[in-house]
Amino acid sequence: MLTLRNVRKSFGRIVAVDDLSLTIKPGEVFGLLGPNGAGKTTTVNMAVGLLRPDQGTVEIQGAGAPDQPRVRGRIGVAPQALALYDELTGEENLAFFGKLQGLTGRLLADRVQWALEFVALTDRRRDRVSTYSGGMKRRLNIAVAMIHAPSLLLLDEPTVGVDPQSRNAIFENILALKGKGHTIVYTTHYMEEAQRLCDRVGIMDHGRLLALDTVEGLITAHGGKSVLFLEREDGERRIETDDPLRELVGLPNNGALRRFRLERPNLERVFLHLTGRELRDA
Amino acid sequence: MKAILALATKDLRLLLRDRVGFFFTFFFPLLYAVFFGAIFSAQGRGASALNVVVVDEDQTDASKAFVAELNDSPELEVSTASREEAVNLVRRGRRVGYIVLPPGFGQARGRVFGGESVKLETGMDPSRMAEAGLLQGVLTRHMYRGIQDAFSNPSVMRKQLSESLADVQASADMDPAWRTTLQWFLPVMDRFLAELPSGEGMGRAFQPFEIESKDVQVRRGGPQNSYEISFPQGVIWGVMACSAGFGISLVVERTRGTLVRLRIAPIGRMHILGGKAIACLLTTMGVPALLLALGVVAFGIRPDSWALVFVAVASMGLCFVGIMMMLSVMGKTEQAAGGIGWAVLTVMAMIGGGMIPLFVMPPWMQTISHASPVKWSILALEGAIWRNFSASEMLLPCAILVATGLTTFFVGTRAFRWAQE
Ligand SMILES: Nc1ncnc2c1ncn2[C@@H]1O[C@H](COP(=O)(O)OP(=O)(O)OP(=O)(O)O)[C@@H](O)[C@H]1O
Ligand SMILES: [Mg+2]
Repeated sequence: MLTLRNVRKSFGRIVAVDDLSLTIKPGEVFGLLGPNGAGKTTTVNMAVGLLRPDQGTVEIQGAGAPDQPRVRGRIGVAPQALALYDELTGEENLAFFGKLQGLTGRLLADRVQWALEFVALTDRRRDRVSTYSGGMKRRLNIAVAMIHAPSLLLLDEPTVGVDPQSRNAIFENILALKGKGHTIVYTTHYMEEAQRLCDRVGIMDHGRLLALDTVEGLITAHGGKSVLFLEREDGERRIETDDPLRELVGLPNNGALRRFRLERPNLERVFLHLTGRELRDA
Repeated sequence: MKAILALATKDLRLLLRDRVGFFFTFFFPLLYAVFFGAIFSAQGRGASALNVVVVDEDQTDASKAFVAELNDSPELEVSTASREEAVNLVRRGRRVGYIVLPPGFGQARGRVFGGESVKLETGMDPSRMAEAGLLQGVLTRHMYRGIQDAFSNPSVMRKQLSESLADVQASADMDPAWRTTLQWFLPVMDRFLAELPSGEGMGRAFQPFEIESKDVQVRRGGPQNSYEISFPQGVIWGVMACSAGFGISLVVERTRGTLVRLRIAPIGRMHILGGKAIACLLTTMGVPALLLALGVVAFGIRPDSWALVFVAVASMGLCFVGIMMMLSVMGKTEQAAGGIGWAVLTVMAMIGGGMIPLFVMPPWMQTISHASPVKWSILALEGAIWRNFSASEMLLPCAILVATGLTTFFVGTRAFRWAQE
């Protein structure tokens, strides 16, 4: 669907993206996970033709490089920084960007209505965006990206500053789109989101892609073993294991176990393993 | 093309929603045009006469009559006061000047031959020296009228003559030859006047000359009224506001991130700027059209040629679309772009006659004004409205405007920053 080959981009002395190669498969939800400044937005911007890579190539399958306007028609982008006209209503924003995508008449009206319903903004459609809450703006930002039903959708941190309820609504939207066969690239620095939504995840830090696999694959490869904490009358024990159930069953049955706690490896651990740092304070 | 129209429609909608922007693009220019039109037309009718104070130290019937005469003249607004008060009033800027009628003024005025000459003392506010000339002229005319009256009223004249004769005989230091002549001439004159039948008609015959002042009313090659001068100036302010507004809006598209969306859309960069340019052109032409239509309907503007008005408005519109593009690259933030943009436009207006009409400016200023598109815009508009320009006379200002527009548009699009730094 989208292929980046050895792309590199620097701003002055800062290398934002360093020799990154990536292929997004049709129909998948791809997560780009990394801390602030990892180079996620820069990667997205090169993928959609906003930035020209210093080196390497970007290709939308069967269409060409996204610096050609025609190719960009297949892509929808929800930029990290909101990109909406505050003094237009939600409906007007959608209709305007729909027209830029070449939609007109009945089709345009239908798409606008669909997009408003999709992000649950139908009852606020006649209000100016300046009167929306932060979460509503985020949702409209996504809706605008989808107005022309693009086959490839890039969402750059779509859940920043959104309350848990709206966040869930956005997750459901993304899963619904995936169900319809859209390809989605999703950037975030929340590992729970990547873990919950994404088929495959690429982990980025300092402009480099450190690992790329399914969530399971990453955890298996870089997460280490599960850790079983046992609290017994004679003290605590910590057991690293690949098979916690077998460990529990195999314990000597002396009734001395008071409680136990299991820590499964997750993306957080994967990141720690790959970079030596915690994701949240990276 | 559809995309460009969508872009332009969006910008027009945003403009209409922006109350402050709408005020500056339409109501402020209208206010400007009406306000200055009203001021100038009032001045034409003499309502803003020179405010002077008269100190009558003579206190005779004649001096009082003179004060009344001054008061009747349309150029002056006269009050009386003591000398001290009068000087004070001028010093505090409450009056433009004072005039002192010295003792003996009444008697002396209108005396034709000999005797002490009338000494009028005047004092002017130094900051109003331009008006001093006008005051002097008005005074001279009134003094002269005293003499004129003497000639046209034989009995007054004869009284004057006998007084003059007495003066001549009493004066010790007069040149003997001149005294002999007068002693001969004055009685002859007296007898001559005595022969005249007294009557108005005859009196006229004695007026040495008469000045009749008329308002010059040449329809072609002159403004119909003051609004024909103030409206082109107001129009310029409207056009400049459009230009600044759209220039700033391009910066805002960048700072608010919507430019990113436009760039992601399947349209080229020239579409994006083209949409802005078309929306801007629609307003830089629409606002003048609306203002001038109002001027025609409500303020008696009667353009010489509608076709040339269109040419002028179109050239000016194009020019300021280019300037819009230029303004959009002058600042990184909305505030910077707005500040710098208005500073540039204000200077253009200042030196181009958008604030003070060019014809009252000193010559060096008029030379500088050639560099300002405002000057050529006003010239083109005036050319079409009241200067009765021929098509070939219109060519110069319009060509300059279009060329300026194309150049600035080209340079602006080249220098435009597409990404936020
Ligand atoms: N326009 C720019 N000019 C200069 N430096 C830039 C620019 N854009 C990005 N950078 C730098 O490139 C690096 C990567 O930035 P990028 O925005 O891609 O990170 P990110 O992963 O999206 O981070 P975040 O999670 O904060 O959005 C950072 O060090 C940033 O400072
Ligand atoms: Mg980012």
